[in-house]
Amino acid sequence: MAFSKFSKFRWYYTLNICSTNILIMVMHEYIRKSLTIDCEAVTNYIVERIREYLEFSNKKGGVIGVSGGVDSAVTATLLAKATDNFFILLMPSSSTPKIDLEDSFEMIKFLNAQNKYKLINIDEIVSLFSNKIETDNKYIIGNIKARVRMIILYAYAQMLDYLVVGTGDKSELLLGYFTKYGDGGVDVLPIGDLYKTQVRMLGKCLELPERIVTKPSSPALWEGQTAEGELGIDYETIDSILYLRFDEMRSEDEIVKMLGIPIDTIKKVDRLVKISQHKRLPPEIFRLSGRAINSDWRFPRRWA
Amino acid sequence: MGIKVELAQIRSYPGDVYRNYKKHLEIIETTTADCVIFPELSLTGYIIKDLTYEIYKDAEEATRKIAEKVNKCAVFGTIKEVRKGILRNSAAVIINGKLDYIYKFYLPTYGLFEERRYFQRGDPLKDLKIFEYRDLKFGVVICEDAWHPEPIEALSLMGADAIFIPSASPMRKLRENLAIEESWDSLLKAHSLMNTVWTVFTNVVGSQEEEYFWGGSRVVSPLGDVKLKLKLFYEDRGVVEITENELLRARFFSSYRDHIREFHSILDKL
Repeated sequence: MAFSKFSKFRWYYTLNICSTNILIMVMHEYIRKSLTIDCEAVTNYIVERIREYLEFSNKKGGVIGVSGGVDSAVTATLLAKATDNFFILLMPSSSTPKIDLEDSFEMIKFLNAQNKYKLINIDEIVSLFSNKIETDNKYIIGNIKARVRMIILYAYAQMLDYLVVGTGDKSELLLGYFTKYGDGGVDVLPIGDLYKTQVRMLGKCLELPERIVTKPSSPALWEGQTAEGELGIDYETIDSILYLRFDEMRSEDEIVKMLGIPIDTIKKVDRLVKISQHKRLPPEIFRLSGRAINSDWRFPRRWA
Repeated sequence: MGIKVELAQIRSYPGDVYRNYKKHLEIIETTTADCVIFPELSLTGYIIKDLTYEIYKDAEEATRKIAEKVNKCAVFGTIKEVRKGILRNSAAVIINGKLDYIYKFYLPTYGLFEERRYFQRGDPLKDLKIFEYRDLKFGVVICEDAWHPEPIEALSLMGADAIFIPSASPMRKLRENLAIEESWDSLLKAHSLMNTVWTVFTNVVGSQEEEYFWGGSRVVSPLGDVKLKLKLFYEDRGVVEITENELLRARFFSSYRDHIREFHSILDKL
């Protein structure tokens, strides 16, 4: 390894997340094989884990926000398999594409949940917030939207004595492509260890509507927002890089050789993961005592 | 005998080997002392977790580069790959450009520490070493090793007159006093008195993740006197002269030269 490697301080690379050039790549056979899941086994495993988690938490069921995207569709399906006690919230805003709302209703039909959902348009609440803090910045408002949804989910969870079931996948969690205390503010993340491409595979096996399984991923926090558009990289590439870099801990150079893609693309993904680490960890507590929470405390969740 | 030792109590930036490397060079190039002692894992930062695997090669490379620039003596903390994929928490010991390594024996795993996850411990039968620079014979142990009697006792009986202790001691129990500082003070005095050696403790300072390293580096003479104490909580540098007088006075009137090995036969069986 050349000494110059660390003389270029590596977090300084600039990133143009607004780029619309999407790099499309056919997934490398080795990665496709590595990421291929046994749908039935994975489904049974996650369903059983949800059931167990609810039981150990002493909660009666789970509440989930369904957006019309593949992540929430798959998670809601797994939740519905785990328990009859599930409740779906549809929380569209003015930036929600019409098709997403249609697909959300499609999911309600699919899950036979006509008496287990509520539609709440969040525009009015979001406007109150944005007016009060005098902003029309789409990024700030986008995060407000995500956090308003979180508040509503928790309100319903408390009313019903349910848990809030999150829908984030591994790709989004690693990239930091979520709002802290928004869609990141949940009790449990059942598909948090599945990459986006694996979630699509699972969605297909679960026989979800084709349009939902294949539609481009989007938080729809503002009009036209898509994950791949914002990143300028398609999910097949993103997942390939994430898998090789963080599951297999391979070097950037090695990944360039394996995938034949520019090193800048790898660096872009690498950087997103690194700068978002704070989002995945609990807030830092400045130590004063002999045994500090997080740092020394290692009590299990099932404690009492 | 009499050499000047500088304690370089620096803030290391976890994972930022290049930045830490530059800091090491800056201090080595500006020191007035004969030997500079940095803290444990000073080149890499202490709380680096899985980043260990990403930076250990950079750390080794930086270590070699520093060695080329040391025309006197320097001791600093780094990671050494002893064979493919086997890493050790190490102290680089450089004398006139010649690089050698000391490995940590006791790797803590209690509380916040996770050293056995990343590192292999040193082997006392192979890795105890005495160095000599000008007139001074010295040994090096790393942090936790000073919380056990044997490493320093062994080095002292092997001929060391001074023990350098690069450390990364995080702050704990800051109430009306800093309990961990008092513990270290007692430990160093005990080692110095029991083994009639100079103990030179250089601690990390500053935040790394949740932890805050308290600094407070110090030098204790063989008579148990604190000869130098650096600031708490801030970066600091200080030079102390290690002289023969205190060694002689301590050794003429001490029981240090006795070691009854039968105690170890019993300890072995416990």
